[in-house]
Amino acid sequence: MASLKSEDDQARFARVVTPHLADAYALARWLTGNRADAEDVVQEACLRAFRGIAGFAGVNARAWVLTIVRHAAYTWLGKNRSAALLVVDDLESIEQQQAKGGGASGEGPQTPEAALIAKADARRLEAAITDLPVLFRETLVLRDVQGLDYREIAEVTKVPIGTVMSRLARARRRLMERVATDEAKGG
Amino acid sequence: MTPSGDPRLLVHAYVDGELDPAHALEVERQLAADPSLAAERERIEALRRAIAQQLPRESAPPGLARRVEAALGLRPARTASHPSWTRAASHPSWRALAASVAVAAFLGSGATWLVLSPGPGDADMIVGNHLRALMAPQPVDVGSSDQHTVKPWFSGRIPEAPRVVDLSSEGFPLVGGRIDVVGRTPVPTLVYRHRQHLISLSALPLGRAAPIPPEQIAGYNIVSWTENGLAYWAVSDLAAADLNAFAKAFRTAGQS
Repeated sequence: MASLKSEDDQARFARVVTPHLADAYALARWLTGNRADAEDVVQEACLRAFRGIAGFAGVNARAWVLTIVRHAAYTWLGKNRSAALLVVDDLESIEQQQAKGGGASGEGPQTPEAALIAKADARRLEAAITDLPVLFRETLVLRDVQGLDYREIAEVTKVPIGTVMSRLARARRRLMERVATDEAKGG
Repeated sequence: MTPSGDPRLLVHAYVDGELDPAHALEVERQLAADPSLAAERERIEALRRAIAQQLPRESAPPGLARRVEAALGLRPARTASHPSWTRAASHPSWRALAASVAVAAFLGSGATWLVLSPGPGDADMIVGNHLRALMAPQPVDVGSSDQHTVKPWFSGRIPEAPRVVDLSSEGFPLVGGRIDVVGRTPVPTLVYRHRQHLISLSALPLGRAAPIPPEQIAGYNIVSWTENGLAYWAVSDLAAADLNAFAKAFRTAGQS
C-alpha cells in the first residue's frame, strides 16, 4: 500500500511530520501514560498522517501532527482505558456548573505559596499531571511542557480559545493544590 | 484573544503572553491594585518555572523515526551519520544559507547599506526574520549564553559586531545570535529568552530603518529605539509590557 505512494508524499512526510516526532511522542506519552503505548500511538498517527499528507494545507505542521496524534491517542484510550474518557464528560459539566454557581471559584480551599510550588520535584509534578483528567492534562501539557500558544492548542484540541483558557486555569489550579497537599503530607 | 470578565483567568493569559497590549496593561493595573491577584500570578509563574525545569521537553526515543519509516514502507533511513534524524531535514539548508549570508556580508562591507533607503517594509521583514527563526530547528546560528562567545562569532562575519550583553539577572537570558537579512543588508540579531518566549533583537544601520512607534504586526509586538548610530528592533510574542521591560533592561545595561 505504502509503496504505491509517490516520492512526493515521502518527501512531504519527511518535511512535515518527521520534524515533530519528538513532540508527537511526548504528547502520546502524556495521554497514554507509558512509553510503549506512546510509541504504538505515534506509529498509528504517522500512518494516518502519511495517508492524509496530501491534505495538509501547509500552515502549522506541528499543530497538524499533534491533532492527529491526539486523535490516535483518544482512539487508543477508547479501546484500552475507556474509564479514563468516561469521567471526562461528567467532569466538564461539573466544572461548568461550579463556574456558573460560585463567582469566586478561583479561590480554592488550599492556596499554596509560590515558594512551595517552586520546590515541587519532577516525580511529584509528573504524578500530579498524570492524575489530571485527560482534557485538563492535554491542555496543560501542550502549553506548559510543549510550549504551544492558545491558538494552536485550540486547533489541536478542537475547542474555542476561551475553553483552552479555562481548562488551563483549572489544570494549573489543581496542580497547585495537589503540590500543597503532597507537601503537607511530607511525602 | 477574547477578554473574559474573570481577572483570575486573564492572569493566566497574561503570564502566557497571550494578551494584546491594551488588555495586558489592564491586567497590570489590576495586579498592582490587588495583592491576592499578584500572589496568583506568582503561583502561576512558579508552577510554570517548576514544570519547565523539572519536566523538560524530551527527545523522541532513539530509532523512532527509523521504526516509523519502516512501518510505513518508506525508504530506509537515508542517513546514519545524523544522530538526530528528526532535525536533519531542514538543518543543512539553513547552515548553507547562513554561510552564504556571511560571504555576502564580507563582500558587501560598510558601503552597501548607506545607499539603501529606509523602506516601509522593514518592520515586516524584521517580523519575518523572527518568524523564520521560530520555525527553524533552532532560532540561532551561534547558541550560547556567554556574551564573550556570541560577540566574536559576529566579528568574524559582519563588519561591526553588535553590543552583546547578558540580561539573565533581569530575567532575559541570552540564547545566542544569528545574522538576519533586511532588504539586502545582513544585520546582527541577538536572541534572548523570557520564560517560553524568544525575543529577536536586530541592530540595523540608521539609514536602513528608522525606529517606529511600538506596534503589533501579525500578533508580534515590536519595540524599536536608536542607540549609538544603530536602530535596535526587538520583536517577540511577549506581552508589550514585558517587551518594553526588555528594551529598558538592554538600554540600561548599555549605559553602565
